[in-house]
Amino acid sequence: MDGLLGTTQQALQLLLTGNPELWTIVGVSFSVSLKAIIFTTPVALVLAFVLAYLDFPGNRLLLSVFNSLLSVPTVVVGLLLYLLLSRQGPFGDLKLLFTQTAMVVAQMILCFPILVALGHAAMQAADQRAWETARTLGAPPWYAMLTVLYEVRFALITAVLTGFGRIISEVGASMMVGGNIMGFTRNITTAIALETSKGEFVQGVALGLVLLLLAFLLNFLLGYFQGKGKLLA
Amino acid sequence: MSAPLITFRNLDKWYGAQQVLEQVKLSLYSGQCILLAGENGSGKTTLLKILAGLETPTRAEVEYADTTQPWKTAVRRYRREVIYLHQTPYLFNGTVASNVAYGLRFTGLNREQQQQALARGLVWANLTEQAKRPAHTLSGGIRQRVAFTRAWVLSPKILLLDEPIANMDDASRKQTCDLLGRMKSEGMSIVITSHDAQPFETLADVRFQLENNQLRPCELHSTARESV
Repeated sequence: MDGLLGTTQQALQLLLTGNPELWTIVGVSFSVSLKAIIFTTPVALVLAFVLAYLDFPGNRLLLSVFNSLLSVPTVVVGLLLYLLLSRQGPFGDLKLLFTQTAMVVAQMILCFPILVALGHAAMQAADQRAWETARTLGAPPWYAMLTVLYEVRFALITAVLTGFGRIISEVGASMMVGGNIMGFTRNITTAIALETSKGEFVQGVALGLVLLLLAFLLNFLLGYFQGKGKLLA
Repeated sequence: MSAPLITFRNLDKWYGAQQVLEQVKLSLYSGQCILLAGENGSGKTTLLKILAGLETPTRAEVEYADTTQPWKTAVRRYRREVIYLHQTPYLFNGTVASNVAYGLRFTGLNREQQQQALARGLVWANLTEQAKRPAHTLSGGIRQRVAFTRAWVLSPKILLLDEPIANMDDASRKQTCDLLGRMKSEGMSIVITSHDAQPFETLADVRFQLENNQLRPCELHSTARESV
């Protein structure tokens, strides 16, 4: 018990004294995950809209695929991307393996199905009259789409926060394609895994506290935006 | 009688193996109000949505601006002239003013002209004092007025209304009928679906019954005009 308390105290000290190594790791995590979610969100939401509002052959199949991909293990995505980006792989010439770009791509793959599936659910639940009203008032299809997205914005923000929560806390894909290089590709989760394997828990606990704090913050925001959506429905 | 604004012919609609509309023919005239009656599920809403370009017919021809074209070609040309209003109007998140102004941005008017049109609309429906109220706080009657004003500011030639006074109290019904009367007197062609013909007896010029997938003219009152 003393060990755990002592470790936690040291971890808090590490956090509060602004340990540069620790905050570099936190910075890598946020930089990679924010880029992934920012790049993925517009494409995923447009696709979610297309799946919700356009009837075309293969619509349901495509949706089933994205729903299935919700539970894909992160290490499988990491492995697949590793094979594609490794020297012998088809994209080996791009020399992206063990870079932040590879981590961003891996996290984009992980959050894409979440955003599509949750975005689709939000738009399916949206009132069909929003689209029809926008169109009958002269809005071109792209503007009517933006109108619908705005109408369900709280549900969409929830989808984005859920996706962000998933990718910032994943370890498998980042470890495999990032390589856990200090100051470059080491993020919170890969650092925790490394420190724990070395038996040095202080930094691991400190980073774990950052993740926990983030989880609380995301959950608070999720509750807030879900409540907002209900209030205005 | 002057030439119709638009005529729909040979309009069929199938949902899978079930036919909903069969060989419907309908002409809409400027300043005329058509009352469309029919049982629940008879296809009234489907017909209105097809006329508005919001649903695709299985087959239809449209005579518009002196040319007869398939529906798909014609709808691109006439869509801006038609506005469809839901039974329960949908108001976007925002204020009364932002709702009324929604369609103005697609009209080619500059910002100042849009503001002027908005102000005219709010005065027209006596909504100026409500302009800044959030739409989701409005009562059913005022929501309907906002929806009418949102349509009126765009000066459509044709207005399609799906059960506009369903679930309304008498005062709101009267207000709605007054607004519709003013729109009609301005030359708009109005099509109304309703179970209850009585409130529209003074407003409607002709009445059709949608029965067994077909549209049939029927007597409204002594001054009924034949338009099909």
